[in-house]
Amino acid sequence: MILLESHNVVIQNTLAEKFNKPGSIDVVFVDFDGVRFRLSTPTSKEIIVLSMNIRCWDELAKYGVTDVLQREYGSRVMPQPEADYHVSLEYAIDSIPPPGEERDALIKAASLLKRNALAAPFENAFATQKTLESSETSDLPGQLMEIHYRDEEAIYIQAANDRVTVVFSTIFKDETDRTFGKVFLQEFVDARRQNTAMQHAPQVLYSSRDPPLEIRNVAGLKRSDDVGYVTFVLFPQHFSNPERMQSTISHIQLFRDYLHYHIKCSKAYMHSRMRARVAEFLKVLNRAKMENKEVERKTVTGRTLVQR
Amino acid sequence: MALLAPIILDNGTGYSKIGFAGNSDPSFVFPTAIATREHVASTGTRSGPPIPAKPGNLASKRGIEDLDFYIGDEAVANAKTYGLHYPIRHGLIDNWDHMERYWEQCIFKYLRAEPEDHYFLLTEPPLNPPENREMTAEIFFETFNIQGLYIAVQAVLALAASWTSKSAQARPGERTLTGTVIDSGDGVTHVIPVAEGYVIGSAIKHIPIAGRDISQFVLNLMRERGETATIPPEDQLRVASKIKEDYSYVCQDIVKEFRKYDEEPYKYFVRYDGEHSVTKRKYSVDVGYERFLAPEIFFNPEIYSSDFLTPLPEVVDGVIQQSPIDVRRGLYKNIVLSGGSTMFDHFGQRLKRDLKRLVDQRIEASEISSKSLIRSSGVEVNVISHKKQRYAVWYGGALLASLPDFYGYCHTKAQYEEVGPSICRRYQIFGSASS
Repeated sequence: MILLESHNVVIQNTLAEKFNKPGSIDVVFVDFDGVRFRLSTPTSKEIIVLSMNIRCWDELAKYGVTDVLQREYGSRVMPQPEADYHVSLEYAIDSIPPPGEERDALIKAASLLKRNALAAPFENAFATQKTLESSETSDLPGQLMEIHYRDEEAIYIQAANDRVTVVFSTIFKDETDRTFGKVFLQEFVDARRQNTAMQHAPQVLYSSRDPPLEIRNVAGLKRSDDVGYVTFVLFPQHFSNPERMQSTISHIQLFRDYLHYHIKCSKAYMHSRMRARVAEFLKVLNRAKMENKEVERKTVTGRTLVQR
Repeated sequence: MALLAPIILDNGTGYSKIGFAGNSDPSFVFPTAIATREHVASTGTRSGPPIPAKPGNLASKRGIEDLDFYIGDEAVANAKTYGLHYPIRHGLIDNWDHMERYWEQCIFKYLRAEPEDHYFLLTEPPLNPPENREMTAEIFFETFNIQGLYIAVQAVLALAASWTSKSAQARPGERTLTGTVIDSGDGVTHVIPVAEGYVIGSAIKHIPIAGRDISQFVLNLMRERGETATIPPEDQLRVASKIKEDYSYVCQDIVKEFRKYDEEPYKYFVRYDGEHSVTKRKYSVDVGYERFLAPEIFFNPEIYSSDFLTPLPEVVDGVIQQSPIDVRRGLYKNIVLSGGSTMFDHFGQRLKRDLKRLVDQRIEASEISSKSLIRSSGVEVNVISHKKQRYAVWYGGALLASLPDFYGYCHTKAQYEEVGPSICRRYQIFGSASS
């Protein structure tokens, strides 16, 4: 698995099971970036409610998340979300299409709830870029959108007349992680330069400690060694086609998790190499053991000499 | 920051149960299997991703072979093109390379959790070497950077899960971690005495009869009656295990049960209807005596096996008799069932009756040998069944991890970095400080 999938497996499995065989449930689970979900049947077995709590909801609301969710889920969005959650979807069993493609699509859409919510600012930025491009009057970039999707980390999105810039701030809590992260991100930058097939990929810039120019004037940026900034520059070719736009959004919003997943994978890989190497060295050491040359020595009378 | 629910990982030999604390069922139950590209035969002595011949040359590695693998049901489905491995053998982790990658995908693909934000509760079998604990802690703290870790013994969690049973609910003050756990899964059955949260290692017994054997026994019985003729051969074992799960129960007296079936076969014989998975041809079989004979192999193993002949109640009795004398009463009083193969109806009642008989006989004998001078007040024997028996270990973990003081029992990342992996050799027993 190289790329993380954007749908939530628990939602997918549970809904598929409950649509087939309705029954009461109440489960809580999570998704990346501190998103909390709850699937429950609060009133009756016939109505399943999927609720989501996402940290940056207020910011997302500013950038039109309600419209996106309204478009994706229509009337299933409950007007009043469950307490402690930000958005709730309602699935009444009798409104579910019969088993088949249609139902699978419905389940898939439900499992993409987090992705769709986080897609709002991106869609917003892509739309802004279009209007800026067509107006051609000013070179001024659009509004800088901040999404504090984790405690200390944020995504910054800014549309300009010819591109959309996405900046991730990342924090590495661990010393080893920081080193791995640096190598990894450098590799990202280099790979594009070396491989001609990747020329169409978005440009990636990496800077540690100092924030890039786009967000330099944002208040409250932490400056320390464990902060890194990754900038993606998306050009219209990456989001002009609606299908491509969707996949761009799906991929880019999981970038931070992707990065951390791969850091962990490389650590696991290193560990297995270390284990293999140690096993080999142990073999060598075992070969180097002294053979016991000690022969029993006896005196003339037949007594054994004992070493003291 | 509101803490996210701790993650419970119960990796068994056959199946892994993984999910979040606070839920009543695991989110995922799938085989503890990993399908990797390197094949069993070609690797020879070592397994794991390929490594270059000379050390210290990471740049030569540009491939992504180490990411090309599947776990769980997907691993089994891909077994034809990949090499299938089971990283856990007899409850102990056998291949750390595979296990590390298995956890990697458990967390990132299935649970979709950022391990840095979570506490983890892992389980281990009784008598797990402390080195294995250290290895596990190393992987979780250093590879995954988790916030905190608790490693619990499976039997203790099974005891905690029994707190949900009706009899325990009636006496809420008596939440005890003393008792005998009968853990019967697919491969093997363990009888484990636990005193105050500590496993009495010297008295543990294993019984080589478990779920797989029961299915095989059902199949044998049906073959003898000639029922299996209509079942496609590749489905036979699956059908047998389905019959075992759906129709079997434990009877209190075999002879009476046989008579009941012979007198009114139409009332007791049931029909099982199946469908061939490929040709969609329908077939049906009669299910008869195997309904009560299947779980009977726990109580009369001689009907199935020729080398293991001790009935389960006797084993349990032996285990308790080998334990220190001052905890025996507690062990008899709280016998807890866990695992799928203890799910038969009336299993607990039968076990209780047989065990009680053994205990009473012994008491009587000792009273006679003391020439009736000493009278015993009797020993209370209790077998506890509850609804969560099937995934009792996982459930017990989820229960304990949802308690507010769970975080206090964990070792945190900071503590780990201060002391090193050896910190995980010891864990505080739940409830030991408070009550």
